[in-house]
Amino acid sequence: MTLEQVLFGFFALVAVVSAVMMITGKNPVVSALFLVLNFGALSGTYVLLRAQFIAVVQIIVYAGAIMVLFLFVLMLLRPDREQSYFKDKPQMKLLAIIVGVLMLAQIAYAVLSTTTGKVAEEASRIETGTIENIGRELYTTYLLPFEAIAFVLLTATLGALVLSKKKLD
Amino acid sequence: MDFNLSDITGYLPLVILAAVVLISLVIEMYIKSAPKILPWLTVISFLGLSYQSLLTIGKPGSFFNNMLATGGHVNIFWFLFNFGGAVVALITIDYLKKTEIYHGEYYILLQSSVLGMMLIAGAKDLIMVFVGLELMSLTFYILAGFARKRLFSNEAALKYFLLGAFATGFIVYGLALIYGSSQTLNIDKLYEHFTFESKNIVGIIGLFLFFAGFAFKIASVPFHMWVPDVYQGAPTSTTALMSTVGKAAAFSALIIVVSPAFGKEKATEILTPLVATFATLSMVYGSITAIMQTDIKRMLAYSSIVHAGYMLIGLAAGNKEGIDGVIFYLIAYSFMNLGAFGLISVLEGKEEKNLAISDYTGLGSKYPVLAGLLALFMFSLTGIPPFAAFFGKYYVFMAAIRADLLWLAIVGIAASAISLYFYLRVVVVMYFGKDESKFEVTSSNPALTGIIVSALLVILMGVLPGSIIDLIAKF
Amino acid sequence: MTDYIYLAVLFPLIGFLINGLFGSKIKNEKITGGIGTAMVGLSFLVVLFSFIETLGLPADKRSRIVEWFTWLEAGGLKAAAAYQVDQLSLVMSLVVTGVGFLIHIYSIGYMHGDKAFWRFFAYLNLFIFAMMNLVLADNFVLLFLGWEGVGLCSYLLIGFWYDRKFDKGTVADASKKAFIVNRIGDFGFLVAMFFIFSYFHSLNFSEVLPLVANSELKPWVFEAIALFMFLGATGKSAQIPLYVWLPDAMAGPTPVSALIHAATMVTAGVYLVARTGIIFAMAPTAMMVVAIVGLCTAFFAATVGLVQNDIKKVLAYSTVSQLGYMFLALGVGAFSSGIFHVMTHAFFKALLFLGAGSVIHGMHEQQDIQHYGGLKKYMPKTYITFMIATIAIAGIPPFAGFFSKDEILWMSYANGGLFFWIIGAVTSLMTAFYMFRLTSLTFEGKERFDKHHVHPHESPNVMVIPLMILAGLSIVGGWVGLPKVFVGESGNWLDSWLAPIFKDATRKIAHGGFHSHFEEYLLMTLTVIGAVASIMLARHIYIKRPQIAKDVAESFKGMYKTLYNKYFVDEFYQKTIIDPLVGLSDKFLFRFTDAKLIDGAVNGTAKVVSFFSAHLRKFQTGVAQFYAAVMMITIVGALFWIILSF
Repeated sequence: MTLEQVLFGFFALVAVVSAVMMITGKNPVVSALFLVLNFGALSGTYVLLRAQFIAVVQIIVYAGAIMVLFLFVLMLLRPDREQSYFKDKPQMKLLAIIVGVLMLAQIAYAVLSTTTGKVAEEASRIETGTIENIGRELYTTYLLPFEAIAFVLLTATLGALVLSKKKLD
Repeated sequence: MDFNLSDITGYLPLVILAAVVLISLVIEMYIKSAPKILPWLTVISFLGLSYQSLLTIGKPGSFFNNMLATGGHVNIFWFLFNFGGAVVALITIDYLKKTEIYHGEYYILLQSSVLGMMLIAGAKDLIMVFVGLELMSLTFYILAGFARKRLFSNEAALKYFLLGAFATGFIVYGLALIYGSSQTLNIDKLYEHFTFESKNIVGIIGLFLFFAGFAFKIASVPFHMWVPDVYQGAPTSTTALMSTVGKAAAFSALIIVVSPAFGKEKATEILTPLVATFATLSMVYGSITAIMQTDIKRMLAYSSIVHAGYMLIGLAAGNKEGIDGVIFYLIAYSFMNLGAFGLISVLEGKEEKNLAISDYTGLGSKYPVLAGLLALFMFSLTGIPPFAAFFGKYYVFMAAIRADLLWLAIVGIAASAISLYFYLRVVVVMYFGKDESKFEVTSSNPALTGIIVSALLVILMGVLPGSIIDLIAKF
Repeated sequence: MTDYIYLAVLFPLIGFLINGLFGSKIKNEKITGGIGTAMVGLSFLVVLFSFIETLGLPADKRSRIVEWFTWLEAGGLKAAAAYQVDQLSLVMSLVVTGVGFLIHIYSIGYMHGDKAFWRFFAYLNLFIFAMMNLVLADNFVLLFLGWEGVGLCSYLLIGFWYDRKFDKGTVADASKKAFIVNRIGDFGFLVAMFFIFSYFHSLNFSEVLPLVANSELKPWVFEAIALFMFLGATGKSAQIPLYVWLPDAMAGPTPVSALIHAATMVTAGVYLVARTGIIFAMAPTAMMVVAIVGLCTAFFAATVGLVQNDIKKVLAYSTVSQLGYMFLALGVGAFSSGIFHVMTHAFFKALLFLGAGSVIHGMHEQQDIQHYGGLKKYMPKTYITFMIATIAIAGIPPFAGFFSKDEILWMSYANGGLFFWIIGAVTSLMTAFYMFRLTSLTFEGKERFDKHHVHPHESPNVMVIPLMILAGLSIVGGWVGLPKVFVGESGNWLDSWLAPIFKDATRKIAHGGFHSHFEEYLLMTLTVIGAVASIMLARHIYIKRPQIAKDVAESFKGMYKTLYNKYFVDEFYQKTIIDPLVGLSDKFLFRFTDAKLIDGAVNGTAKVVSFFSAHLRKFQTGVAQFYAAVMMITIVGALFWIILSF
């Protein structure tokens, strides 16, 4: 077992456990913090995939900026303890667990029994994930999706304004 | 990257629409008379773009490093989105004023959503499909909740958003599995790399999850449950947009990505029964449930589910005739529904009044033109010749029979027999009801223009289906 | 003129457009009615000239296809607006436009003063347009267009007086019933079309039908096509089990009953079976089904007709019964006899309905024959023409009905057997009986209406003249098909005229053995004597001794009630088909799945409960979770399918 595999195992475990803790947590602030942990673990796996830039962006943008915003909102709003949907309907909880486990088993079976083809050479080189490479790709091959994403963000901003700004009325 | 200026005619509609979105933003911000300018700017640019799309229909091309294709079916879809968008804009003009929810952003969002649809239909790469879908869906969530002070509108938006995000999750996961098993996101290469004959379960599961996510968008049972609530709750003009061109855009993604799989043996063997099952469930469940609906928007929501079922038949057939039939059906269906929802928006009173089918009692004698048009759309939705949907169904059923799916065609015919009941009920109420209708209608010339154009298209497609299906089948 | 046959289709369409678009503006009854009538008249002239032209051609050149424009083309399918002009379609279109023209004239008088006079004529013209497409089409697609078109017109015209009451419901209910029952039949027709296209790759008569006779296909294919097509025919032509709409269709104005529900549209099924006769000839089981269904319908409807009291209901059941005769003829392979009966029936049944309309008109909308009586002195012209039609339908020579009915009975004996003949003959006797019951109660005997309020009067000339013309046709109309036993093989003009159309089909069907002329004379004499006897009986009972009828009804109370209520078939359909379907939708899918499972899970109440509130959030997330759960379960199920099929 190489160091890479050990690290992957570690990050993956942290990611899964923190995700589970996040959705089962009773206190929203605690859940949000677990989400931060989850993002951190994910950025670790990005590094292992030679995507250093994405890993850094993940930390800065998601774990840093967005989650801090999230926490601010949660602190300010102080949502009361919600009545849990599952508490009213324990049978739904059971159902959710069963379905989740089944799907996990199915995907695991499918992945394990599929004979994968060759792994692209490109992906395994260390230079792939540098800012330079990503920048070049974004402005050449992926120019159109890049511009389209700009419109998605514009629309999202516009939508947030329309749905929530008071002055509009 | 090679950049050739002469290429630009191919993707010019995209560039223009993007520019129009930005210009509209500026107009909305700085110009006082924006409420007068924006609607008509939207209508005119949509009409211009639909004309431009038809103009370059015969020139296939691929741009941006094989991210975008144009010509042929892509341009037919672009035409549909833009023309449908123009009709929606016409319907919207007086509707927003009447319901007192006018904000200029409605038109900007409308333009963005059509931009997203155009990206989906033109996609050559799964990334493009996804980005286009996100652009379209985001605008839909916002447009559904546009009536901010109405509870049902809020409910619709939130419900649609939550479930839509859930469905998008399946699509992304499907994309990941597809990429994992074929090492590419390019749609052409995907099918070269895809080793269907071997034990590539992951690839097929990815393809199915992708299909399932879009089955949500096209409102197929059992991914339909959001549809009645959202169609009913959203402002009527938004419902008109979502249920017609929005559905067409989602179908265009299925046609681009999923339908080539039907040529491959293993994939056909596995996916055809699944798609056929979804089609059957949609037709049967939708048509039977629609019978008991009392609200006309809800009834049309179930009708939309039934029609999704018919169109899935064409996809399940998996042959070229099926795909051509689906495209024909989409155009026919879009204009029928645009007309029907347009009329509903004209008849609708403030505060969501006059939406029960029983409210239409005696409409035939009081507003003969409106009632006549509504009757026409109902007849067409039923599939009575010589209106458009009859031939849509005909082509789709024919394709199914060719693909040895006779039973599916028979289920389809049975469902259309049932659906007769709930469509004709509207006509019966309008013409054979005893008491006079109670409400006054504020007439709207732009909306009426849009509705009449839709009606003419529905008749035209019913009278001369041959030349239109020829145009579609040529590519 | 044959090259311009499409004019015969175009004229009624023009009439429809003029009256439909501008009728409400014109208002003047003379103009709207005149245009409507003139257009059908022109159409009749076009057909008549084509007919004369075709008469002059040698027998093998009489069938022609006149292409107008390509209507739709896709894949291997080509459907043109092309018309097949041949012996069969000419006879049918002569009947459609000829009788149609007379009924248009009649309607000018009958509909006088109606608030939607123009709309009536617009619909009638649209009907003629659709019907002409149906009978002239050279392919199944165009035929289907006409088929659906006449169905639509029938629906619109039955519901013409939509605000009136009818039976237990409204007129609108009757029109809906007609439409929905017809759609069940259409389903069969569509499936038959799909079958034909998938096996022959074409829907044109000229390409499909010649291939059938020498086809290598398995017999079940033809059986399936024939049976599905016959299902379509039972819907349109009101045969068991789909006949239930026709009696209710009498809710429409009487000229509509005469034109659509007696003379033309309801014979579309007969025409369809005759046109595709070769397919039926390849399917012996289906032929048997056609014959038996026709026979049962004829008998069954005649028994119901014996006791009905509504003048139009009697005629409606008589129509169902006579249509049964036509299918009996088709079923035993006597295609030309079936068409012959279509023609004579169009004459005398249109006359009967128009006469009934004249009576109803004169009696201030009263339709119950128990409140008639002795009308012959008030409306002598109506009486005489009505009597002529009654004698014709009763099968007394030399009136039209005798020849066609005798031909059918003889053919059913020769090709089917004694059993067919006996049931057919008994039905014929019952027909004579109930028709004379009708005339006796209406025109003779004591006057049973309130003379102070009701003043019977003869109808205006514009209504009476069509009656007289039809009466003339009811007398001489049968002479084109004189029995072969009198005039020899070639003497039956209609049979030899139609023979080229049916020659493939008749060759396929193996006919029964040799029958002597003596047998034919004997059977003919028996039916005529029987008919005369039942006429005498009916007149005796209903004019001289009305008490007998009451006594009989009293002593066979159960049977009388069953007949009077039409064997409770409507109630049976209601209980077994309609209620469960509505129940399934209402109780299970709506109340249970939609309302209980989904709405009941969380919301449903939300609309009633207050607008703001903590409840709002609760029901929204709740619903979404349930919706998501359904999606998730579906996906897991589908994944199982995918994994297991590897």
